[in-house]
Amino acid sequence: MPKISKIDLAAASIVFAVLAAIPLFGVTTYTIGVLTVCVCFAIWAASWDFMSGLTGRENFGHSLFIGIGGYTAGFLNVEFGFDPWWSLPAAALTAGVSAILIGFPTLRLRGPYFALAMLSASTVMQYLVIIFSQVTGGQDGLNGIFPILDSQRDYYWLTLFFLLVTLMVLKALALSPWGTILRAIRGDEATCQAAGINVTFYKIAALVISAVFAGLGGALYAHYQLQVGPDLFAVILSINIIIMVYVGGMGSIYGAVGGALLLNILTESLRAFSEYRLWIYTLLLMLILFFLPNGLIAPAWTRIRDRLARPREKKRQAIA
Amino acid sequence: MSLLEVDNVSKRFGGLAALKNVSFTVEAGEITGILGPNGAGKTTLFNLLSGFLPADTGRIAFDGQSIRGLKPHRIVNRGLARTFQLTRPFFGMTVVENVIVGCLAPRVRDVHVSTERRAREILDQVGLGHAADALVDVLPYGDLRRLEIARALATRPKLLLLDEPFAGLGTSEIEPLATLIRRLHDEEGLTILIIEHKLREFMQLVSRVIAMDFGEIIMTGTPAETVRHPRVIEAYIGKAEADVAAA
Amino acid sequence: MIEILVYGAVISAIYAMLAVGFTLIFGVARILNLAHGAFYALGAYTVYALTANLHVPLLVAAAIAVVGVGLFGVAVERVLVRPLRRSQLAVLMITLSVGLMVEQVLLLTFGSEARNVPSMVEGAYEILGADISAQRLLALAASIVILAGLWLFMQHTRLGSAILAISQDAEAARYMGIPSDRIYSIVMGISAGIAAAAGVLVAPFQTVIPSMGLLPLVKAFSIVIVGGLGSIPGSILGALLLGYTETLIAFEVSIEWSQIVSVAAVLLTLVLRPAGLLGKRAAF
Repeated sequence: MPKISKIDLAAASIVFAVLAAIPLFGVTTYTIGVLTVCVCFAIWAASWDFMSGLTGRENFGHSLFIGIGGYTAGFLNVEFGFDPWWSLPAAALTAGVSAILIGFPTLRLRGPYFALAMLSASTVMQYLVIIFSQVTGGQDGLNGIFPILDSQRDYYWLTLFFLLVTLMVLKALALSPWGTILRAIRGDEATCQAAGINVTFYKIAALVISAVFAGLGGALYAHYQLQVGPDLFAVILSINIIIMVYVGGMGSIYGAVGGALLLNILTESLRAFSEYRLWIYTLLLMLILFFLPNGLIAPAWTRIRDRLARPREKKRQAIA
Repeated sequence: MSLLEVDNVSKRFGGLAALKNVSFTVEAGEITGILGPNGAGKTTLFNLLSGFLPADTGRIAFDGQSIRGLKPHRIVNRGLARTFQLTRPFFGMTVVENVIVGCLAPRVRDVHVSTERRAREILDQVGLGHAADALVDVLPYGDLRRLEIARALATRPKLLLLDEPFAGLGTSEIEPLATLIRRLHDEEGLTILIIEHKLREFMQLVSRVIAMDFGEIIMTGTPAETVRHPRVIEAYIGKAEADVAAA
Repeated sequence: MIEILVYGAVISAIYAMLAVGFTLIFGVARILNLAHGAFYALGAYTVYALTANLHVPLLVAAAIAVVGVGLFGVAVERVLVRPLRRSQLAVLMITLSVGLMVEQVLLLTFGSEARNVPSMVEGAYEILGADISAQRLLALAASIVILAGLWLFMQHTRLGSAILAISQDAEAARYMGIPSDRIYSIVMGISAGIAAAAGVLVAPFQTVIPSMGLLPLVKAFSIVIVGGLGSIPGSILGALLLGYTETLIAFEVSIEWSQIVSVAAVLLTLVLRPAGLLGKRAAF
C-alpha cells in the first residue's frame, strides 16, 4: 500500500476545509442537517471498509453495530437520564463488546457465510427490538433524546471532527503492520497462520475496531435525529453502506468516505425523484460491478494524484 | 534430546488410515528427507506437524515440549515453520510485503528493527531481491517457490519443513534452489525436513532418509542405504531410476 | 391442533420449494443467489398482472408466470452472473442488485399497496373440525407434485444426472465432457421457475407486495444452512423443521416470535454445526 503523500494530505485538508466552511455561508439548517447525516454515513462507510475492505470479509450486518450504538445512546439518555456526552464513549464500548460476542462464532465462517450470518444477526436484533416493545418502544423506537450541542451548526462540526478522528485512526492502522496483516488475511488465511500470525485475533480485532466507530456514528446519528427506531438495524442500511463503499472503491477508506458523500449528495439532488433513489443506487452498483470493479472515487483520485505528481517528479529529475 | 520427536502418531480420514503409528526423530542440524509415493501420507504428516490437522493419537514434541493440538501460528512461534506444496502467496500484495507478514510473527517481531529492511535482507538471501517491489501476482512459478521459503525464513525457524520445494520446476531452476537449501543449512545451521520426489537432487541434499508407504515408515537410513533397500525399490523407485539415483 | 398440522404442512411445502431451488443453484454453480426471493415475488406479480389487467385465465397465467420467470432466471445467469463468476463476492453483489432492482421495478409499476390474486380453487374443506381453504390444500398438493417431479427428473433423465454429477464434483464432471456453463443456466432457470411457482401458489392467501421476496429469501437461506448447503434432502428436512416450528410458535406464542425462528436457527447452526444437519462439508 502506498504511503500517504503530501498531495493526499493536501487534498484531504481541502475536502475537510470545504466541508467545515459550508455552514459559514448562510446555508439553511436543513442543509446542515443533510450534511450531518452525510458525515454519519461517511463514518459508517469508512468503518465498514476498514474491516471488510481490508480483510475481504463482507459484513452484511454493519447496521447491527450502528443500531447498538444508537440504542445505547437512547437508553442512557432517555431511560437513565445520563448527560448526552456519555453516549459517545458508551456507544463505542457497547458496539465493540457486541463485536467480540458476534465475531467469535461468525468469523470462523468464510466469504458469503460470514456475510449472511452477520445479516441474520442484525435482523434478529431488529425483531428483538420490535418484540420487546415495552423496553425498546417497538416500532416507534425511543423518542426525546437530548441534543449534545444546542446549535445544529456546532453539532455538525462535532460530527465532522469525529469523522476526522475516525479517518486518522483507521488510516493509520491500515498503513501500519496491522493493515499489512489484514490484507494478508484477505489473501490467504492458511498462509497467514504459516507465517505465525494469529488470524482469529486480528479478524476479531478488526471487527471490534470497525464496530467501535460504527457505534460511535450510530450515537452521533441518534443525537442528531433525537430519536432511534428499529430501522437502524435494518439490512437495507447495511446494504446502502456497502453500495457506498463499492462506489468509492474498497480497501482505501478514503474511497468509502467519497462514496458516502457522493451518494448522499446524489440522493439530495434527486429529491424530486426520491422513489427512484434505491433504483438508481442499484443501477449504479450494477454498472460499477461490471465496468469499474475497483470503484469510482479511489481509482479516480489515484489517477489525478499521478497527474499532479508527474510534473514535480520531472522537475526533480531535471535538477538531479 | 532430539529437536523433533514424533512418537506413534496416527491419523484417519473416515475409514482411511492416512498415517499408522509413525515414529521418528529429527536431530538439530541435519537435513532429513521424507520419501514416498503419492498418497503415502507425507503431506498429511506435515499438516500434523505444523498444526493444520489434528493428530488422532501419539505425541509430537518440538524442542522438548509437546506441540500436538497447538494452533498452526503457535507452532510457528515455537520455531517450526513450513512451506506449502502448492505455493500460496498473498495475492494483491508485493513480494516484500509477503515476507513482511512473516517478519510480524510475535516470535521475531522487534520494534527496534525495521521489518521492511529485514524482509529485504531475506529476499536477497533467497535471490529474490530484484523482485522485492513487484506484485506477487506477476511472479513466475520458480520465484514463488523461493518466496515460500523466504516467508518461512522470516519467522526465523529452528526447523524448516519444505513440502516438495522442487515440484513443477525445470532442471535449470532446481540446481540453484538446491544450492540455496544447502546454504541455509551450512551457513545458518538450519535444521530441515524435506519432502521430495526429484530423487537425484534429493539424495544429494539429505543426510538421512525416512521412506514411507501406505502411511507407515518402511525404513530409515542414509541415501545410499535407501536406494538399495528392496522395499523402497519395489514400492516406488523402480529399477531404472534407482540406478540413476545411485550413480 | 389439526390446524397447526395442516398449516405447518402447507408452509413447509412452500419453504421446501424455495429452499430446494436455492440449494440446487448453490450446489451446482456455487451461486449464492440473493435474487431468489425476487423470483418468488415476480411469480406472484406476473399472475396478478396477467389476470387483473389482461384478463388471462388463471391457470394460463400461472403457467406463463412459471415459464417466464424461469427464462428470466436463465437470462440473469447468462448476462449478469456468468461474467462475474470469478469472484464469489461479485456474484453475491450482483444477485443482490437483481433482487433490489426487481423489488424497485415492482414498487414503481404496481405501487406499495397489497394486491389481490384470486384463488385458483374456491371454498374450504373441513378436516377434523378445522376449516382449511381449498387454495392452501392445492398449494400443498401442487408443491408435492412439483418436488416429486424434480426428484424424478434428477434421478431418471440424462440432464438430471448431469446436474447431480456437477453438484457432486464439478471438476470431474467437466472432464467427462458435461458442459457446465449450459447446465448452470438450466439449473438457474429451474430454480427460478420453482420459486415462481411457490409465489404463484401462495399469492391468493399471502400479501402480494413488492418486498414480499425478502422474507422467503431469508427463510430459504436459513433452511439451506440448517439442512446443509447443497443437500436437497437436507433442505426438505430443514423446510419441515422450520415450517412446523414457525407454525407452532405463531399459534402458541405470537407471529413476531415466529419470524425470529429462522434467523436464530441460522446463527445457531452456523455456530454449532456449520455443515448443517445433512451437509457433507462444513459451510466454511
